[in-house]
Amino acid sequence: MKWTMLVFLNVLLPTLIFSQGRTINGRVTDAKSMPVPGVNVMVNQTKQGTTTDVDGKFSIVVPDNATLMISSAGFQSQTINVTSSQTDVQVKLLEDFAKLDEVVVTGLATTVKRRNLANAVGTVSSKELNGVAPAQTFDAALNGKVTGAYINANSGAPGGGISVKLRGVTSVFGNTQPLYVVDGIYVDNTTTSAGLNAVTGAIRDGNITSNQDNASSRIADLRAEDIENIEILKGASAAAIYGSRAAAGVIIITTKRGKQGKTKFSVSQDLGFVKARKLLGVRQFTEETAGSLSSNPATSAALKQQFLDAQSAGKLYDYEKEVYGKTGFLRNTVLSMTGGSEKTSFYFSAAQKDEGGIVKNTGYRNTSLRLNVDHKITDNIKLGISTNYVNSSADRGLTGNDNNGVTYSVSLSSTPQFAELHPDQFGAYPANPFAASNVLQTIALMRNNESVNRFSTGFNFEAQLQRSRKSVTKFIGRGGVDFYNLNTDVQFPRELQFQAVNKGTAIQGFTKSLNTNYILSLVNTYDANDNLSFTTSAGYTQEIGNFNNLLDVATQVAPGQTGVDQGGALSALQIRKKFENDGLFIQEEATIKDGIILTGGVRFDRSTNNGSTTLKFIAYPKAGVSANLTRLGVINTGFFTNFKLRAAYGQSANFPVFESRFTTFVGSNVSTIQGSIVNIQGGDAEIKPERQTELEGGIDFSVLNSKLNFEITFYNKKIFDFLMLRTVEPSSGFTTKWVNAGDLRNQGVEISMNARPVSTGNVTWTSSVSFWLNRSRVTRLSIPPVVLGSFGTTLGTFQIEQGKSATQIVGVDAPNQPKGTVVQLGDQEPRFQMNTFNEVTLMSKLSLRFLIHWKYKGDNVNLTNLLNDFGGTSADYDANGATRIGGYLGGSARGFVQNSGYLRFREIGLYYTFNKIPGNIIRSVRAGVSLNNYITITKYVSYDPEVSNFGTGFSTGVDVDPFPASKRAMFSVTIDF
Amino acid sequence: MKRLINIYTMSFLLGMGLVSSCKKEYGNLNGATIEGYSHDATKDQLNGLVIGAVGGMRNSEGTYLDAVGVIGREIYRFSGADPRFATDLLGQDNLTLNNTAFYLANPWGSRYRAVKNCNVIIDAVANTTLIPDNQKKAYTGFAKTLKAHELLMNLNLTYSNGIRVDVDDPKNLGPVLNFDQSITAIANLLDEGKADLTGAEVVFSLGDGFDGFTDADGLIKFNRALAARVDVYRQQWSTALTDLGLSFYDLTGDFTTGVYQVFSAGAGDQLNSAFFPQNNTGEVRLAHPSFTTDMEANDDRAAKATLRTSPASYGGLSGDKDAWVYTSSTAPIPVVRNEELILIYAEANIQSDNLAEGVKALNVIRTGHNLPVYSGAVTKDALITEMLKQRRFSLFFEGHRWVDMRRYDKLNTLPIDRPNDDVWSDMPIPQAEGL
Repeated sequence: MKWTMLVFLNVLLPTLIFSQGRTINGRVTDAKSMPVPGVNVMVNQTKQGTTTDVDGKFSIVVPDNATLMISSAGFQSQTINVTSSQTDVQVKLLEDFAKLDEVVVTGLATTVKRRNLANAVGTVSSKELNGVAPAQTFDAALNGKVTGAYINANSGAPGGGISVKLRGVTSVFGNTQPLYVVDGIYVDNTTTSAGLNAVTGAIRDGNITSNQDNASSRIADLRAEDIENIEILKGASAAAIYGSRAAAGVIIITTKRGKQGKTKFSVSQDLGFVKARKLLGVRQFTEETAGSLSSNPATSAALKQQFLDAQSAGKLYDYEKEVYGKTGFLRNTVLSMTGGSEKTSFYFSAAQKDEGGIVKNTGYRNTSLRLNVDHKITDNIKLGISTNYVNSSADRGLTGNDNNGVTYSVSLSSTPQFAELHPDQFGAYPANPFAASNVLQTIALMRNNESVNRFSTGFNFEAQLQRSRKSVTKFIGRGGVDFYNLNTDVQFPRELQFQAVNKGTAIQGFTKSLNTNYILSLVNTYDANDNLSFTTSAGYTQEIGNFNNLLDVATQVAPGQTGVDQGGALSALQIRKKFENDGLFIQEEATIKDGIILTGGVRFDRSTNNGSTTLKFIAYPKAGVSANLTRLGVINTGFFTNFKLRAAYGQSANFPVFESRFTTFVGSNVSTIQGSIVNIQGGDAEIKPERQTELEGGIDFSVLNSKLNFEITFYNKKIFDFLMLRTVEPSSGFTTKWVNAGDLRNQGVEISMNARPVSTGNVTWTSSVSFWLNRSRVTRLSIPPVVLGSFGTTLGTFQIEQGKSATQIVGVDAPNQPKGTVVQLGDQEPRFQMNTFNEVTLMSKLSLRFLIHWKYKGDNVNLTNLLNDFGGTSADYDANGATRIGGYLGGSARGFVQNSGYLRFREIGLYYTFNKIPGNIIRSVRAGVSLNNYITITKYVSYDPEVSNFGTGFSTGVDVDPFPASKRAMFSVTIDF
Repeated sequence: MKRLINIYTMSFLLGMGLVSSCKKEYGNLNGATIEGYSHDATKDQLNGLVIGAVGGMRNSEGTYLDAVGVIGREIYRFSGADPRFATDLLGQDNLTLNNTAFYLANPWGSRYRAVKNCNVIIDAVANTTLIPDNQKKAYTGFAKTLKAHELLMNLNLTYSNGIRVDVDDPKNLGPVLNFDQSITAIANLLDEGKADLTGAEVVFSLGDGFDGFTDADGLIKFNRALAARVDVYRQQWSTALTDLGLSFYDLTGDFTTGVYQVFSAGAGDQLNSAFFPQNNTGEVRLAHPSFTTDMEANDDRAAKATLRTSPASYGGLSGDKDAWVYTSSTAPIPVVRNEELILIYAEANIQSDNLAEGVKALNVIRTGHNLPVYSGAVTKDALITEMLKQRRFSLFFEGHRWVDMRRYDKLNTLPIDRPNDDVWSDMPIPQAEGL
């Protein structure tokens, strides 16, 4: 009772003191004179505040000669002096086009306005993410929109599988993908193989899984429609406070939340189709060339005859078109609801997506339910809950590298147009004499499905513990649980041509992943005086992860059956991972004259993944300074409306790969007797985490009344003790061993400009253009150069070598070099990238939006054509095939290292909004058409320059018969109630 | 200000308290670790390592037989997925053997992995107190025998480029020895193995491939059989005859008696990767055309090359007969068998100028395969040619042809199918050895 009295008094005291003041009434409207609810109105120098109601009105008690601070997201803040006689205030808010007042997350519990930010934090708004041409999955929606990132789709298979690399190479074997935090929940983004290697043999000698199994990564489950905005912390200088998982950056996603006001509904329906973006074509045979497929005279004659028979019967087929030429239908329905009262607000969405693929029996389905609720328990205690359930299913086909001739394109590579692959009148498929599989049979009978059920729940709890004139202290508790069940179902029935030995293979995978995290922190804001204020935050965090993946491979499966107990033989693979990270952090931000911000902080982190240092805390400090020269008056606002200099520094670390400490034994059984043999991967008990330091500096300035804004950033990112799976001398019994091998460095530039060139009453045009480049170099390597990430020096491969770019591609190059000598043939890193996002609006009704992305240079290792050449089916074989093969046989890999630069019109959308609907029920209707990935200009000769046979890891851009990329067209209607 | 500091310290202390009280250590969840064997290993643990080594003999065996079979012009290996079987291995145009390629790196690594397991056995036996001495010696005797065999398989690949023999400490590997030093070390290892096995008690299982050789005496016979092979590689003919006497050599015995690698579809087990069904397309193993053309009429070993329903071609080569030695996915692969021992007996006698005895042994082979007795010249050279011919057909696709042609300096007699093809005499040391 006494305690409540004290709190009461504390809160009431300021009011009591100022009860001698007068009441001010006011109204806030926007540029179009529409009322703006939920605007924060604060009395300067006190912590008195209120928010506007549904009609934009507010009422507040102020002392004489007070100053009101008006702020709201998306609008420029205003300061209004209230004279002693004034009782009424009208405020007209202007759009914050330059986003200087946008609030950005800077710590685990703190935020800062963009105008005061010491880092270059990237943002992607909801409109940019999803408002132009919707992509199939969330990770695809990010493509082309993040300055400083290299985003690359691994293949065109439905269901995702995209690599996001921020500011160059962060690691070679460790994690290269950023940490995703959704509403405070640290979500899992693992890629789990379905065990396709057991059938494709992409890695020889018995492995069930490999990184060539073209699996998707779990961030694809998230629905882009639910996202309000995304903040991207690109390196340690911004992300250090996230500790040992932040080395590759952090992507902070906030989903939509409810707003006070009348309950609003929105229904949107998309319909569209998807087609292959580009097909390569097939060789047109003649009698002569058909015979030349074999050197044996008898076979040659038989082939010639076969060709003539097929030609006269009209049975010359374009199998590439039959396989990849299907048009898939797309549909997506989203229902969302938002509303709230003064105390409680909610956002609910239900979304269902069903998309066909460009290959028969492939496609992607995703159903999502989300409920976000915010509730004010009291004026000082707030609770927010976010819950999301996703059910998705992806049928991904069978593509990519293989050694058994069974993936679609590898099988096609040796199948000429006069082969007969179609089923007979009994529905039986003929055996393909030209390859190990009949691709039409494979497509019809096989199954490769990933099904996910995912539950994510997060909570955010804020309680004001103390409030006085000068200081406010809050307790913030935030945390979440991310759980998913991934079932992979791979079926190759015994009728398939290549199942003659195994007589049917069924591979079922069961994965359970549970990630929990929480942060407990105290944040104190202290205003020493008008010109000096401090924000202090400190807290404790914990993350626990638990991953259990079980793969059962059954062979000799009974006819027509798919269960693993229906097989004559069964083998299993289980992978279990557990980790726990604990962290302590402290951060201090000092604001001087509202123009100079100094921040400093440190995080102490320990992880069970580290070697002998498991129980030791490692410190990751950060610091930053930003000086807003216009706010400080150093530069007069005239030409420049805003001019800021900033610099920041931070350290972080990367997970050592699980089990890198251990040298283990694996099963090697004989005649049903259990046996153990050393694993080919040796561990290092002394393994250390990879550390990163990043120094970043930049200039932000706005001219022309904030209609033209620039952000220029330079960065130097250094990685120490990066982990390598070093190829050791195989005579040691191991093929590879984990070592902390060396240091590498990334340096780069990011320049962003956004402008509003045209802004009349009827026409507005907003545009943003970004330019970025990155250069990497291995500065120290304590082991000999390591070849990795591709198929060896005869075909072009990556090589980690001291003094060279980390992404260099090397290979043999006779006769330019002595036979067998390895030289650099290219570099996977683009010279630079640019993007531009534009929106032209006519009369506030018709809006054209487009996103263009330009990747200039940067090389791929293109082996797709090689396989088609060796199989004699490449489209231009008769003209160029022999020359290409000659180059390879002559001992040169140069022909495979190809420029994969492109200019892509990634998204184009045209929308029309009907605002004045008769009747009271429908508020507005928006209809539009959009094209995704429709126009690509590139010299690269294969299905698509964006490709990675080895998935989302260090190796990217290796092209071996991938699932072709696709282009989408959609028609959408959105009705707001 | 004071309040600030108070809050600060309070939270910090709270944090420290919470955190230091939680000590977490997740051991390895996915398998045993090497540290678990280095002190007082139990009999069950050692038995598991023995089977692990026996199973490890089979890793990459298909690739090994393909590589030595293609270079030795015994088979063609066509692969829609990997052109290097028909390009690098045959030296097409300007291509050479690549020291990073799978056909070298995979077998090389797999053999040393089995060697590592054997070294772990020897190490564990030395550091355990739970097993009596005579049983310990059985473990080390077997481990040394197996180790010698695995090293020999790698020496077959790299020949004059040699191999490493001392590989016990991964941080401190012994040097690469030349051919003579390597083969001597292998012979010594076999002798040590025999010495250990003498009077030892075997308490471990070896799987079905060792049927008939499961006790110490049987393992000694296996050991001496390998020693006899090594002796003829070293051209030590009389030692070879002595070792044959101590092995399971039997002139009148079954050709198939011996020790085999066995396969099954059980959990954690392997299937025979040298098996393809007949008339396969895309991935094919063909008998080299010269196999049937060089064979005498009525030889029942012609069944090892069966006529396909349609010929297969690749890269300018073609053939119409499948290599049909391993006839199912669970067919065994011989490690050493009596037919080879009889041929070694013939070779050792011919080289020691006991030509009559040599002819007698060769006739056992010939008549055993439906051929008439030898009627050619009874001179050393002619008999060597005949002996190599019989080895070629009897041991077809078992990994011997290239080795035999090489040690008799007859690689230049192997057929060249396309102009600019080469017959390699050895493979380079894998680049990963860092030399």
